[in-house]
Amino acid sequence: MATATTPSRRKSRLNRQGRAAHVFMLPWLVGLVGITAVPTLASLYLAFTDYNVLSTPEFIGLANFERMFADERFWQSVRVTLTYVLVSVPLQLAFALLLALILDRGMRGLTFYRSAFYLPSLLGSSVAVAVLWRELFGHSGLVNSALALVGIEGSSWLQNPQTALGTLVVLNVWTFGSPMVIFLAGLRQIPEELYESARVDGASVLRQFGSITVPLLTPIIFFNLILQTIGAFQAFTQAHVVSGGSGGPVDSTLFYTLYIYQQGFTAFDMGYASALAWVLLVFIGVMTAGHFLLSKYWVFYGD
Amino acid sequence: MREMSRRNMLKFAAVAGMAGTAAACSGVGGGSGGGGGGGTDAGGSATLRYAWWGNNVRQENYTNALNAFMEDHPEITIETEFAEYTAFQERMTTQMAARNVPDLFWVPSAQVMTYYANGLFHDLDGVGTLDLSDYSDADIDGLRLDGVHNTMALGIFVPVVRYNATMAEEDGVTLPEGEDWSWDGFTEFAIDYAANNPNGRWAVNYGPDHDLTLEAWLRQRGEQLWTEDGQIGFTADGIASWLDFWENLRLAGAAPSLSEQDGVGADWSLIGERVLSYFGNSNHIIDDAQFFPEATFLLRNMPVAADATAGHPYLYTPRLAIYGDIDEANLEAAGTLLNYSANNSDMLRITGLTMGAPVNPRVAEEVTEFASPDEQQMLDAVSHDRALERNPRYEAPAGSSTWRTILTRVSEQVALEQSTTVDAATAMIAELQAAIERAA
Repeated sequence: MATATTPSRRKSRLNRQGRAAHVFMLPWLVGLVGITAVPTLASLYLAFTDYNVLSTPEFIGLANFERMFADERFWQSVRVTLTYVLVSVPLQLAFALLLALILDRGMRGLTFYRSAFYLPSLLGSSVAVAVLWRELFGHSGLVNSALALVGIEGSSWLQNPQTALGTLVVLNVWTFGSPMVIFLAGLRQIPEELYESARVDGASVLRQFGSITVPLLTPIIFFNLILQTIGAFQAFTQAHVVSGGSGGPVDSTLFYTLYIYQQGFTAFDMGYASALAWVLLVFIGVMTAGHFLLSKYWVFYGD
Repeated sequence: MREMSRRNMLKFAAVAGMAGTAAACSGVGGGSGGGGGGGTDAGGSATLRYAWWGNNVRQENYTNALNAFMEDHPEITIETEFAEYTAFQERMTTQMAARNVPDLFWVPSAQVMTYYANGLFHDLDGVGTLDLSDYSDADIDGLRLDGVHNTMALGIFVPVVRYNATMAEEDGVTLPEGEDWSWDGFTEFAIDYAANNPNGRWAVNYGPDHDLTLEAWLRQRGEQLWTEDGQIGFTADGIASWLDFWENLRLAGAAPSLSEQDGVGADWSLIGERVLSYFGNSNHIIDDAQFFPEATFLLRNMPVAADATAGHPYLYTPRLAIYGDIDEANLEAAGTLLNYSANNSDMLRITGLTMGAPVNPRVAEEVTEFASPDEQQMLDAVSHDRALERNPRYEAPAGSSTWRTILTRVSEQVALEQSTTVDAATAMIAELQAAIERAA
C-alpha cells in the first residue's frame, strides 16, 4: 500500500514544485515578453513602416533600408563605429591581458588591485564618468593642465574631430577590468607544470607566453573578444554625454546607436530608426557567427 | 505544516505575480485618467500632472510655486514631472507614443507644430477658469495656431547682446550707440576691442548656432525662419551671410575658436570671464549673471542693419499647453493651474522671471515691483522690442525638429574649415527640406 502511494505523492510534489517554478518565473517571463520580445518584434514591423511615433505606422516595404544607401550620416556612423570597435577592443583586451599577467604573478595586495582595476568597468559606461571625461579632455581640463606643465599648449580634445573619437577609445580601454578578471581566471587554469617544463627546456619568458599562455588562453580571449565587440558596437552613453547628444564635432563621434537614437527620439523617425536597429542586430549576429566560424582556426580548447 | 506553509507561500506568490502583472499592464494610461494616479473623484478633486524643463534651480522654484498653488487649491493635487531640456523632449516623445502625456506641459520651441499636428493641445476657448480679460486681442492672436487658441505663453524672450559692463569699464570701452549699433558697427568695435584690450579678452562668444539671434539676422534681411505654410523661410545666402559674420569675428580674433570655448555652444562658465559680450536670449541674464556676481551685466537689443526690413523685431513666446486628451472632468482644474501659471504674479515672485517677461500686461506691471536688477534688464529689453512694429512670426513646421542640431553641425564644419559658408548653408537647407518633406 505504502509503495503504491509513494510514486503518486512524489509525482504530486513534483507537479507542485513545477507549478512553483513557473510562478517564480512569471515576473521574469512578463519582463521578457513585455519589455524585450514584444518591442523587438514590434520594431521589426516598424522597420518596414513610415512611423513618426504619433501617427499610425504606414507600411512602406523596404524604403527605410533603401534610404540608408543614400544617407551620408548613416555611413558616417558606420565608419565611426567600426573605427571605434576595431581600435578600442584590441587595445582594451591587450591592456586587460597585460594587467592580468602582472596580477597573476602573486603580488602583495592582489585583492585590492583586482578590485581597484575592476572598478572602471562598473563606472565606465555611466553618465558620471562621461561627464568627468568631458572635463578631463576639455580645453581647460586636467589633461591640458598637465601638458601645460611641460610647456605644451593643448587644445580641446573633444572639439577636434581628429582626437574626439580617440578620447572615447581611451575611455573604453580604461574599462579593462571586466575582461581582466576573466583573463586572470583563465591564467589560473594553465597548469604550472607546463611552464616548469618550458623553463627546463630553456624557453624564454616571451617564448613561454607565445607557446603556452596564449594558446591555452585562446578560449578566454575568444570569449572576451565576442563580449567586448558586441558591447563596443552598442556603445552609446559615452558619446551621447561627451558630445551633448550631437555626435559632434562634425559627426566625428556619431556612434551608430547614437544615430538610431537621434532618428527615433529627436527626428521622430521611428520607422527609420527601427530599420537601423535591425541592421545593427543582423550585423552583430553575422559578425559573431563569423567569429565562431573562424575560431576553429585559432582557438584551442585542449580536448 | 511544512506543506501548508509552502502552499500558502505559493498562493501569495501567485497573487503577487498577478497583481504585478496587472500593475505593469495598467502603466500606460492617458493623462490624468490613466494609471499614473490622476483622475477626479466624486468630491470634485483633481490630480494633474505638470511637466516642465530647466536646471535644478528652476526645478526647485517651480516645485515651490506649485506647492503654494496646492495650498490655495486643496482640491487639486499636482504631480510634477521635471527634466533637463533635452531629456524633457525625449521623455515627451515616449509619453506621446504611449498617449501618456502630462495634463499640462511646456512646449519646446522646435516641437510646437509637431505637437499641434498630432493633437496634443487642447482648445482653450471655453475653459471657464482661464481668465483672458487682461490680454489684448493681438496678444491672443499671436498665440493661435491655424486660428485656434490652444496654448498660453509662459513669457517673452527677445534676442539680445549681453555685455559685461564691469569689464567694459576696466578696459575703457563703450559699445557703439545709436546708428553705430549695427552689425557692421559691432564687428568693427569687436575686432578693435580684441586687438587692443590689455587683458587678452575676446569681444564676443562664437555663436552661429544661436537660434534667436539667427532669426533676428534673417528677419532684418527680409527673410524668416519659417513661412506661414510650414516651409523654410530662409535662403542659402541668408545662412551663409550669418556664418560669414561669425567667421569674420573668429578669424580676426574677436571671438574664440571652438576649442577655446569648448564647442559651438559656448560654455558660459568657461568663457564668461574672458568675453566682453554674448549673443543670447534676454532671459539668460538671470541665471548667467549668477556665475560672476562681482560683475554687472547689461543688455542691448539686437544690432540693426542700416537697410533692415521694416517690422523685423519679433517676440519669442515659450508655450504651455493642456493635453488634448485630458480627462474632461479635469479640464477646469487644469484651466485654474494654467491661469496661475500665466496670469499670477505671486507665482513669478516664487519662480523668478527665467521664462521671460510676462505676456499678461497686468502681471508685467506687477513684477516690476520685485524684479531683481538683472530681471529688470530683461524686462526692459523685451519692452523695447514689444513696442516696435513686428511682422508675423511662424513656428517651426513638423519634421524640422532637428534644425538646430543641423545648424550646429554646419557651424562646426565652417569653424573647423571643412566647408565654405555657402556649401554649409546649402547642405543645411537640403537636409532640412528633406526632413520636412518626409514629415509632410
